[in-house]
Amino acid sequence: MVILSLILLPFLLLPLLYFIVRPRPVNIPIKNRHVFITGGSSGIGLALAHRAASQGARVSLLARSLKKLEEAKESIRLSSGSDVSIFAADVHDYDVVQKAVSDAGPIDVLVVNQGVFVPQELEKQGLDEVKFMLDVNLMGSFNVIKAALPLMKQRTDRLPASIALISSQAGQVGIYGYTAYSASKFGLRGLAEALQQEVVADNIHVSLVFPPDTETPGFERETEVRPELTKILAGSSGSMKAGDVAKKALDGIQSGSFIVPCNFEGHMLAIATAGLSPQRSFLMAVIEVIFAGVLRLVALFFQWNWYRCIEHWHPRKKDT
Amino acid sequence: MVLFTLILAPLLLLLLFLIVRPKPIIIPIKNRHVFISGGSSGIGLALAQKAVSEGARVSLLARSLHKLEEAQKSIREAHGVDVAIFSADVRDNNAVERAVAESGPIDVLVVNQGIFVPGALENQASDVIKSVIDVNLTGSFNVIKAALPWMKNRKDGAPASIALMSSQAGQVGIYGYSAYSATKFGLRGLAEALQQELISDNIHVSVIYPPDTQTPGFEQERKIRPELAGIIMGSGGGALSAEEVAKKSLDGIKSGSFSIWFNLEGYMLGFSGAGFSPQTSFPVAFLEIAFAGLSRLAALFFVWSWYRIIQKKHAN
Repeated sequence: MVILSLILLPFLLLPLLYFIVRPRPVNIPIKNRHVFITGGSSGIGLALAHRAASQGARVSLLARSLKKLEEAKESIRLSSGSDVSIFAADVHDYDVVQKAVSDAGPIDVLVVNQGVFVPQELEKQGLDEVKFMLDVNLMGSFNVIKAALPLMKQRTDRLPASIALISSQAGQVGIYGYTAYSASKFGLRGLAEALQQEVVADNIHVSLVFPPDTETPGFERETEVRPELTKILAGSSGSMKAGDVAKKALDGIQSGSFIVPCNFEGHMLAIATAGLSPQRSFLMAVIEVIFAGVLRLVALFFQWNWYRCIEHWHPRKKDT
Repeated sequence: MVLFTLILAPLLLLLLFLIVRPKPIIIPIKNRHVFISGGSSGIGLALAQKAVSEGARVSLLARSLHKLEEAQKSIREAHGVDVAIFSADVRDNNAVERAVAESGPIDVLVVNQGIFVPGALENQASDVIKSVIDVNLTGSFNVIKAALPWMKNRKDGAPASIALMSSQAGQVGIYGYSAYSATKFGLRGLAEALQQELISDNIHVSVIYPPDTQTPGFEQERKIRPELAGIIMGSGGGALSAEEVAKKSLDGIKSGSFSIWFNLEGYMLGFSGAGFSPQTSFPVAFLEIAFAGLSRLAALFFVWSWYRIIQKKHAN
């Protein structure tokens, strides 16, 4: 009897969820459309630019260093023959961002990808570094989106548009050494959930991409200063190449997925942290409902393992 | 089949009893120093009243000296006890450090200051967004960082607490709350990482998720709330009194709970959003697992109803 109802469950959920998933599924074309990538001169942003250009998109890059932008532009011209527009600006400065965005022209796919990460225990970390991460990763994202929104809402083709935010697995679970970074990346999700409700009526679709550790110049620098415990705990999820992350990201953006995981551990994290995020795929929704309990148990096991690791490294101070 | 469930449930409970981390703890507040930022009004003031009534030594930090003095007076009248008051803006980390140093080693830090200015992102000025982030998120870092060295060097070996005031808007992002939700979600990322960093110092982190609460701040916010936000949020529970929120918050802090939820909606939000947060109570962990699927299904229904409301509004 129980087994029967367990087998029937997916068959009952499938049609139910097919009808109730919102927002509805969508396909967002990128060929011949304008893709604007912040933090686009290196790492994941550059890999995304390469991929979008090779798929026929018109690409614009925004970053701080003009020199790196020119190198990026050259490398894309060499690999796919297309010319990207480049704009030097610091996302911290709203007016400069707004100028760059209006120079670039109406945007179809906005990829908010700039990010900095300096891992350290909060006790040891300077507040200036904390502020730096919050400014670039969170406030900077608000600036970019706010600058781009008016023109996105007025785009002439009535095709669906996208605002994609590059978060991180550290935006799904907070890890030792990542207080500021996780705070900024968790923040992107609050922003995204609210934003999607505000822009759905304009046929703009929000995506949050959650890469694991990714082999980029930024990551190279970060591993040098990473606390030992952070290395151990973050090592629970494998690392990926920037090109592979870009592929997953772009696929997810084109299918309008709200949450875009990049590897197997990412899928598990996504199901565990589904919360109240929208889910456009009714199949994925069924999986989320059925495996929610199992994934919570898995998450608790991870906590058990992590806290034992921490205990091993920092034996608790004895109560006096 | 019934037998199967009867055996499985206790086994799961036993398993959870063995694996929940961090381990459960009791955090006493009687005769201990409770420091509350944003303590001159609203939930912060209600927390101060409750802590004082339970024998704690309380310090309040807020911007307005005038409001702090009024708060001090109202606590003296209600309980005959004097709280210490410190005027500082949480955005000014030097001022916060001075206040914290003057107040003495802290046992229970309640990071409660917060501003909320609702408005659709496209209508909200960049500097308003900045101030919400600066006060709610950066400000919290300032307060915690100032208090940490003192907390780590506390003389009694008893467990200490850092409690962060989030919101149900920190469990789900809602129309008109992009900046506020961003900061309240951010507090959770901070808390999950911070707990891992502080567990070996016997400091326990709690994140509190109140719904709409009857405070002066809330009154102001309701006047400028976008209509759509009001309709969507109206589908949740009613507003709670600041006293109810304070009581449940303090109970949660004292039992070292990582996540503190309120009312039925809060628990549904909590179970579906449990994610990778730690859970110190094995019975609650059991409930989280048992109701995870149902909570996600309920969540999908909520999302469905919200997007239909949005669609209807924009069709007009």
